[in-house]
Amino acid sequence: MSEPASETMSVATGRPWRRNVWPGIHWIQECGGHRAGIARAVLESGADWYAPGNELHIPQNAYLLTGARTLLWDTLSPASGHILLPALEDLLGERPLDYLALSHPDVPHAGNTMQVLRRYPDCRLVAPATGETHALYHLDDAMKVGPEDEIDLGGLRVRFPEATFLDAAIHTWMSEETTRTLFTVDWMGFPHQSGECLRRTDEIDTAVDVGRLEEFHSRVMFWFQYVHPHKVTAATDTLAVRFAGYGFAPAHGLPIPGEDAAPYYERLNEVVRRVAASGRGGVL
Amino acid sequence: MSAISLGGGVFWVHECFPETDGHIHVSVYLVEAPEGAILMDSGSFHHRQRLSDRIADATAGRGVGAIILSHSDYPHSGNIPAFRGDWGDFEIIASCGDPDLQGLPYARRTKIGEVVDVLGRRFAVLDPPLADRNHTTWVYDEASRTLFVADGFGTLHASGACDIDWGRIPEDGRAEGVHEFHAQTLPWLRYADPNRVMDALYAMLERHHPAWIAPIHGPPIAEADVGRYMADLSDALARIAEPHRR
Ligand SMILES: [Fe+2]
Ligand SMILES: [Fe+2]
Ligand SMILES: [Zn+2]
Ligand SMILES: [Zn+2]
Ligand SMILES: [Zn+2]
Ligand SMILES: [Zn+2]
Repeated sequence: MSEPASETMSVATGRPWRRNVWPGIHWIQECGGHRAGIARAVLESGADWYAPGNELHIPQNAYLLTGARTLLWDTLSPASGHILLPALEDLLGERPLDYLALSHPDVPHAGNTMQVLRRYPDCRLVAPATGETHALYHLDDAMKVGPEDEIDLGGLRVRFPEATFLDAAIHTWMSEETTRTLFTVDWMGFPHQSGECLRRTDEIDTAVDVGRLEEFHSRVMFWFQYVHPHKVTAATDTLAVRFAGYGFAPAHGLPIPGEDAAPYYERLNEVVRRVAASGRGGVL
Repeated sequence: MSAISLGGGVFWVHECFPETDGHIHVSVYLVEAPEGAILMDSGSFHHRQRLSDRIADATAGRGVGAIILSHSDYPHSGNIPAFRGDWGDFEIIASCGDPDLQGLPYARRTKIGEVVDVLGRRFAVLDPPLADRNHTTWVYDEASRTLFVADGFGTLHASGACDIDWGRIPEDGRAEGVHEFHAQTLPWLRYADPNRVMDALYAMLERHHPAWIAPIHGPPIAEADVGRYMADLSDALARIAEPHRR
């Protein structure tokens, strides 16, 4: 499934960098630049999902959910306000943005929070309830959500299950119950190459195998090198049961449809065993 | 009010924030280098004005010549734009793979394992075993033998114990402060093998023998107290990993 090279320039030319991914769920993607260092490592590993000469991207994803009410999940990095705001304006038209929900106040996820709130002043900021230092992130006045909470968007219903794999105390995952989608934030990320931007995994020709998932998690979840692998795999196995049939909408990968999701849990378990045995992959 | 000297040209500019079970430090450190003052992290916006005044005071009005950033997390990086406004477009040294994504398009990128020269002073850039974000680095100042660390090595403290070093915190409750801090700040420790983390820390301390461990989120730990801190930390990690055992 190839894409003309000029399409990677479309951000600069103002083409909206977004698409509808599942009913009521719109995906806004920030691909960033070519990751040359990771591309070299991938080529050395002999992986067959990446072709030399292509750009290798590790994206940031934001998702806009549109029921009778609207909710934006994350905001991309501070480098991409020029992608996020026009995409939002396009998608919403005259409609208001009712909620901005942050997975966690990490710079590449929360980088445009202030711009969004300035553009949509009546929007309700929603933040994870966990953690003790909300005031250090300007989140003291946000609506706090946790596993007990559900927001009915009218046609879509979102919940906030505990973030099983997380990098900071103030952190939540999200699920959408009508489409059965799990928003896994930093977990279940993986790189893609030019031509695969804004595609779901069922729309690309290359495989998302253990090695490809490892390229991401061995860097971002650097702490896998210090774990008892069985503790992590037990938590993953619990998720596999609890969210059986749910698709994934990760923040740093491509969306994975529910019918294809099951094998990914075991792939992630293998990633953990590998990183615990041989160390982190580097820095992202 | 003023900065507390740890010797060797290193000063602790302590600030803290009240939580339910105690205070958490969100400090910065100043290092006097031949070509200017280096700020270790920039602190939280919450303390912006006070930090700015105290830094101006401690540097006789000259201000900051460079910042070495542990990681881009807002309570560490949040004052960079304001301080660059105060004292000019000084250099930011950070380790992230893509500074643009972290909101630091102007940063000079460091790599784990290298020794960097900042304003004429040398710092070894280390891979931190206790961190939240993957792009975190710790640095070891060779001249003063100070190891600057975030987010690990913190300790929650009681109000009133905001400006004393770790060894002078009353022993009653001190180990609990080490436990509480790590349990809430580094959620991945629930999956950790405490021995693997401790081994990595011991290896680092052996290689870069610190006169002081200088945490952003806790009081500085003097050389004489490092053994006791490590024993408390080891207990804390075991409790976090096996919460039902104890
Ligand atoms: Fe994150
Ligand atoms: Fe942090
Ligand atoms: Zn992330
Ligand atoms: Zn892309
Ligand atoms: Zn911190
Ligand atoms: Zn205090």
